[in-house]
Amino acid sequence: MPPSLPTWFDLDPVAPFTLGGREIPGRIWTASGCFAYGLSGHDMAAPGFASPYAGIGAVVTKTVTPAPRSGNPMPRLAETEVGAINSIGLENVGYDVFCRETLPELEARGVPVIASLAATRPEEFGTMTARLQEVAGDFAHWHGIEINLSCPNVAEGGHDFGSDPGTVAECVAAAREALPGRPLLAKLTPNVADIAALARAAGDAGADAVSAINTVIGLDVDLATGRPVLPRRFGGYSGPAVLPIALAKVDQIVQQARVPVVGVGGIASAADALKFFALGCVSVQVGTAQMRDPFAAARIARDLVRAQS
Amino acid sequence: MAGTTAPAARSCPARFITNVEMSSGLIRLDCELDAPLPFRPGQFAMLNLADGLPLVFSRPFSILAGDGTTLSFLYRVVGRGTAALARLKPGQGLTVLGPLGRPFPTPDELEGRPAVLIGGGVGLPPVHAWFARHGRDGDTAFFGGRDGADVPWSMLDARWGVSVDRAVDVPADREAFAGVVTELVASRGDLADGRTRAVLACGPIPLLRAAARLAAARGWDCWVSLEEHMGCGYGVCKGCVVPVATAGPDGWRNATCCDEGPVFRADQIRWDRYGVPVLPTT
Ligand SMILES: Cc1cc2nc3c(=O)[nH]c(=O)nc-3n(C[C@H](O)[C@H](O)[C@H](O)COP(=O)(O)OP(=O)(O)OC[C@H]3O[C@@H](n4cnc5c(N)ncnc54)[C@H](O)[C@@H]3O)c2cc1C
Ligand SMILES: Cc1cc2nc3c(=O)[nH]c(=O)nc-3n(C[C@H](O)[C@H](O)[C@H](O)COP(=O)(O)O)c2cc1C
Ligand code: FES
Repeated sequence: MPPSLPTWFDLDPVAPFTLGGREIPGRIWTASGCFAYGLSGHDMAAPGFASPYAGIGAVVTKTVTPAPRSGNPMPRLAETEVGAINSIGLENVGYDVFCRETLPELEARGVPVIASLAATRPEEFGTMTARLQEVAGDFAHWHGIEINLSCPNVAEGGHDFGSDPGTVAECVAAAREALPGRPLLAKLTPNVADIAALARAAGDAGADAVSAINTVIGLDVDLATGRPVLPRRFGGYSGPAVLPIALAKVDQIVQQARVPVVGVGGIASAADALKFFALGCVSVQVGTAQMRDPFAAARIARDLVRAQS
Repeated sequence: MAGTTAPAARSCPARFITNVEMSSGLIRLDCELDAPLPFRPGQFAMLNLADGLPLVFSRPFSILAGDGTTLSFLYRVVGRGTAALARLKPGQGLTVLGPLGRPFPTPDELEGRPAVLIGGGVGLPPVHAWFARHGRDGDTAFFGGRDGADVPWSMLDARWGVSVDRAVDVPADREAFAGVVTELVASRGDLADGRTRAVLACGPIPLLRAAARLAAARGWDCWVSLEEHMGCGYGVCKGCVVPVATAGPDGWRNATCCDEGPVFRADQIRWDRYGVPVLPTT
């Protein structure tokens, strides 16, 4: 943690800010897939923290799909010295259960939520969003939607889906039409030559911000067998190793597309988060580090606030 | 499901105290916490290094014992993380997230049935913790090792039955059955008295399968503590799933080993699907 904040940093990370016409409680969020549905930390304690949610602006919930998914075969995780490769395969409870059970519970517990959605056809983002609007339109703590256009672990949709600016625009437009008054974010894949083109397409189609990045395609080999460690061969690389990649992708977007950016990738400390803010991000998400420590995002928020005073 | 009430987890700093070699393969790690950590036998903690280059993911280890603010684990060096634990110097910082997961049932939850505890190799800690806390007359405990040098003799008093795959290096004043530990259990006449017992087991998958079969053959209940690769240890990543039986159309679903387990009823596990790659259904 930096002992005191650099003079250029003039945001209050734990104060509400406006995005897509709505007040979001703070700028330090947890990333999709790394804190489940935001319901697992309520009993947890750590010295100096009221809860893992202290200071967190939003929990981006695990991506849900129209039907439940049981995910990929085990093992689903491989670790390098500086990163993690995951092949979870979007295991999730499905949209019905998410709307009927998960969201109301999050609302009751007062957890600030950005709901992450994935689908295989652009129009499905419209129907899913409309249903969310129906179920949770008057919820105080459901703040918006992040559409996941970039998960590399699923065959249909998934990666290829999100690498085409035209498809990105269609998905964003479908969701936008059904989502008045709440921020719509498009989460982009880094596994393309020109991420700024995707960001422009998303922004032009009505996204209030883009989240960058999702995981980088990666593979590890088990030397004992000579085969890839993960049964699906490839997985999504994340953690400290991807921080410079994420910063580079974010910078390309900031320089070449006029759309606000939510920074994600390798953030494990207040100093890491500051680098994204330095490039112009409006908020940041903590993924892999949140898996290691349920208080990771809360620590980052606290450290930034402490450094400010 | 056994043991649904268990202490909540705390994320806390710890200081490494010592590594003590208990056998040729097993090391006991003691660390000092900021405050005592109440746990139930069968629960585990995620350990990591606090400084230097922490592991991207913390590593799960069953809690062996908690004595005041000292917390103890028993581990075997198998890779990068456990090698890092073996190199720790007194005073070095650790992070501990725990206690996590569902524990073994208590004697009350076993409704008076005597326990048959089975620990294979590095599966000893949760079983040892249970026996130390709850063990009474009528409960029996067994440890299975590779050979005499593998057995942490000083941790196993005369109440423990010991088996070894190879009967070498067994101390002159101790006894060890030559064979696998479930054969030792099956050979024990005092357990064939017709009483209904409950098996609590932790160890390699073949041992757990054998324990489950033995229990089923005798009409005993059986709980097993499973191990999976873990990313988070507290239920948020879905990196650690095991197939459990359900009434649904597929007949099974994924359960997270870290927070629906690691202790499961053996008859809940779809052993036919466990440990073999299961292709996605959707
Ligand atoms: C609930 C639970 C309790 C555990 N309790 C103990 C304990 O008390 N003592 C102990 O020594 N170990 C225990 N383990 C296993 C321990 O977590 C692993 O040995 C450790 O994570 C290995 O880390 P590493 O970095 O040294 O090895 P890595 O380099 O990560 O892996 C080395 C080898 O071990 C395999 N491996 C790694 N993690 C696991 C795992 N979780 N399950 C199966 N294979 C694995 C890898 O595939 C590889 O072959 C427990 C695991 C779980 C899930
Ligand atoms: C285990 C795991 C599961 C993930 N699941 C999702 C997901 O469901 N949806 C999504 O948009 N991103 C998912 N991600 C990607 C993260 O949200 C994040 O974009 C990426 O990991 C980079 O950030 P990090 O380095 O902080 O983890 C997942 C990442 C991990 C490690
Ligand atoms: S290890 Fe993350 S869900 Fe079990």
